[in-house]
Amino acid sequence: MSGQDRAPGRDSGGSKYAVRMDGITKRFPGVLANDDVDFAVERGTVHALVGENGAGKTTLMNVLYGLYEPTEGTVYVDGRPREFDSPRDAIDAGIGMIHQHFMLVDPMTVAENLVLGVEPTKWFGLATDERQAIADTRELAERYGFDIDPTERVQEISVGEQQRVEILKALYRGAEVLVLDEPTAVLTPQDVESLFDVFAELVAEGKTIVFITHKLGEALAAADGISVLRDGKLVGTVRADETTREELATMMVGREVLLEVTSEPAERGGETLAVEDLVVTDDRGVQAVDGVSFAVDAGEVFGVAGVDGNGQSELVEAVTGLREAESGTVVLEGEDVTRDSRRECIEAGVSYIAEDRQERSLVLEYDLLRNGLLGGQTLPEFSDGRLIDWGRTRSFVDGVIEEYDVRPPDAGATPRSLSGGNQQKMVVGREFERDPDLMVASQPTRGVDIGSIEFVHNRLLDLRTEGVAVLLVSSKLEEVQRLADRMAVMYDGRFVDVVDPDAVTEEEVGLLMAGEDPDSGRGGGEPRATSTDRPTDTADVD
Amino acid sequence: MDRARLAHYLDRLVDATVLERLAISLAALTVAVVVGGVIVFLSGAVATCREPALALGGTAFCYDPIEVYLTLARGAFGSPTNLGLTLQETTLLLFTGLSVAVAFRAGLFNIGTQGQMVLGGLASALAVLQVAPLLPAGSLGALLAIPLAVLVGAVVGGLYGALPGAMKAYADAHEVITTIMLNFVAMGVAFYLVRNHLGDPSTDAVQTPSVPEFVRLSPTIGGTRFSVIALGFGLAIAVLVYLLYERTVLGYDLRTSGLAPEAAEYGGVNAERNIVTSMTLSGALGGVAGAMYVLMILYRWQTDMPPLGFDGIAVSILAANNPLGVIPAALLFGAMKGGAIQIDFALGVPPELVEVLRGLIILFVAMPEFFRMLGARAGYGSVEDEVAADGGQKRGEEGD
Ligand SMILES: Nc1ncnc2c1ncn2[C@@H]1O[C@H](COP(=O)(O)OP(=O)(O)OP(=O)(O)O)[C@@H](O)[C@H]1O
Ligand SMILES: [Mg+2]
Repeated sequence: MSGQDRAPGRDSGGSKYAVRMDGITKRFPGVLANDDVDFAVERGTVHALVGENGAGKTTLMNVLYGLYEPTEGTVYVDGRPREFDSPRDAIDAGIGMIHQHFMLVDPMTVAENLVLGVEPTKWFGLATDERQAIADTRELAERYGFDIDPTERVQEISVGEQQRVEILKALYRGAEVLVLDEPTAVLTPQDVESLFDVFAELVAEGKTIVFITHKLGEALAAADGISVLRDGKLVGTVRADETTREELATMMVGREVLLEVTSEPAERGGETLAVEDLVVTDDRGVQAVDGVSFAVDAGEVFGVAGVDGNGQSELVEAVTGLREAESGTVVLEGEDVTRDSRRECIEAGVSYIAEDRQERSLVLEYDLLRNGLLGGQTLPEFSDGRLIDWGRTRSFVDGVIEEYDVRPPDAGATPRSLSGGNQQKMVVGREFERDPDLMVASQPTRGVDIGSIEFVHNRLLDLRTEGVAVLLVSSKLEEVQRLADRMAVMYDGRFVDVVDPDAVTEEEVGLLMAGEDPDSGRGGGEPRATSTDRPTDTADVD
Repeated sequence: MDRARLAHYLDRLVDATVLERLAISLAALTVAVVVGGVIVFLSGAVATCREPALALGGTAFCYDPIEVYLTLARGAFGSPTNLGLTLQETTLLLFTGLSVAVAFRAGLFNIGTQGQMVLGGLASALAVLQVAPLLPAGSLGALLAIPLAVLVGAVVGGLYGALPGAMKAYADAHEVITTIMLNFVAMGVAFYLVRNHLGDPSTDAVQTPSVPEFVRLSPTIGGTRFSVIALGFGLAIAVLVYLLYERTVLGYDLRTSGLAPEAAEYGGVNAERNIVTSMTLSGALGGVAGAMYVLMILYRWQTDMPPLGFDGIAVSILAANNPLGVIPAALLFGAMKGGAIQIDFALGVPPELVEVLRGLIILFVAMPEFFRMLGARAGYGSVEDEVAADGGQKRGEEGD
């Protein structure tokens, strides 16, 4: 049950710190994830937690949230020592956590999700009072200025809105301290802005916020205090207005980090991928890709920017052989692969980094060795089609682990024991190093720290130099702008425009992403993933 | 115990290492033996006997649990005959256990091993009866007929397994329901065919004629029907199934489909086809069990085959669905069967009580494994980044 109050008299409720973690050590078999960390957050402030992949950020927050029991150390909430056996205890103590993977039930409505497990009841507890649930949701949303319809289904709202539902969910359970693990990783720049507005709103209400991020700019812009973890240890806590990006980067990595990509534009080869009038429907049979045409040359990076859920996933799945197109063609190296199976696409040289690493790109029960084979099991490097050559798989995986700095560097570990960024590095390495002709990279640096982003970006451009055609899909605008030679903006199943990424401003792209063509000066729908409005101007490219 | 604590223990269970799981299984076995002993002892109070093992106050306890276990062990391994009985049961359970394990590995729950065994056995008996007259009696005939019989059993069992596999893959019919129903269909159809068309006309029993002497797997140990050839074949199949999963692309594909269907698809695996393949393989092993039953035990097909297919489920769960683990699990269950007969003879303890002991072992040893599987499926365990925000539980399914 809830933690014991061992020091009841001690400035109960009046502590300056909303939470204080004292000497926290968390040991996993063979790994010291947190090493004597002292961490404190003042009430009514926003606090950022930064550090490289595997530094122990998620672990520390999981300890705070009662998911892990610390090996040593004490957690104080409102100045009182607490012992959490489970998240339920933490919630009772007023701590809410929002993980990177949302835990909402998609077919259920916003209100149903909000009250899940703590439903208001009627008829003496015999039934859920749905009307009450909707009223509660509406009231809470209004209080924090969220524009959310309680009766809409979660699967029909955008990622940014889903995140707000998660926040409301925590608030509904009485959270005073909100912990968010990499909340901005899945958001567009606009959504990030409004998330920070939400933070400000919450802090004004007296709530306390802790968020994990890999983007130092965000930490500096949105947080009051910033704590840096490195190798499980707390390097220090600084005030956001008294530090700089460079100082933070140095604290994190122990060296200076250059966020410059160093690559000359590559020599373009022939047309590797040609997509013509592609129409793809999603799982519900709704048309998600609505007649898209484009081509990617060897040695070119073609970027697709856009708010999540505008058909990018379906487009990518149709190109990689995971989803059958309704009509249109996909031509790879001159061969029509539209009807090819996923395996045939892989064998034809298509590598694919899927956006959902935990469900698609990795088998959580397999060790890294077996995960390193996933997708490549019929390639001549790894098997003769029947028998697996584990020896060669092993050296491939060891190579990826070493080159991509996957930690812990142990092919026998399962992804469950890897931090999010290290899981991602494993996937990126596996797909990059398989010698592809076409590299389809969807959110390739999601959850990866700045040092590793630098590495992944450079490696991606190396691939380009080697003559690989790259189709890059990312909700991080600056990523697409930095890497792509040409950039398409996708909205509601179509390419609104294809632009030169160096010649457009962020604002222009932002408008395009909202479905508005700045050239035509006329609006087309609201910036919502599921809007049925369709922009009339659709630029097709060859 | 409140829910949070329960969730905590489930997490621990799901995250347990192989060694921890082995330790859990051994501890559970011990507990099962102790609890079983207590039950045997107490049930002795309500039984009547001439020489009670112990008299306490006015109550006479008829059975001495230690004696029961010793007799059980002696019954299972104490003499060549007993050993033979144990091993013949072990051999059959090896095949049915593997059948269930193969399906489980692919994330499928094949309850239909029984039906696949019934039809496989019948087909195998009929095939032998058809071809035997054309073959020379003797070892050459045996060399031709026995593999043929096993093959026919495998093919028919395999087809009968493929059926629910295809229904699952292409029509979304849940395999638990379809395989249970197909068990009834198999038994009904076999009964009808044998009684009305294919049966032995010289008897009223619903059975086929006996297969000729030379096609039978001759007993290695006199007084039993145990054939070391059959056991060797079973062990070889266990190793082959193990190698299939560890070394081959097909095995990797099948296993990946079972563990993570979405990741399998991403990796180029055709999930539908693999469901059918797994069920075919599983059914084929069930069919082989039927063929073995005909060639080794009964020398004919007879209605009301023993529930070896259902026992296979327990064997597989006990083995954590590991093909090599099926070997000791089948031996344990085989020993219980062999020992039960002896207990009845020697101690007058009803064999039903041995069934209770057997049940307890399944309950205690298989349950942690079973809860682990359920827990993992429900999303417990330390899945990084995949933790519920509402704190109560982590739910694995996101349905995104
Ligand atoms: N359940 C676990 N079992 C074993 N080791 C673990 C487990 N969870 C985390 N670790 C290890 O603890 C260390 C810290 O991991 P953590 O997830 O806290 O990192 P992080 O700072 O959140 O990284 P990222 O930015 O990549 O998400 C890593 O070395 C990781 O491999
Ligand atoms: Mg993390």
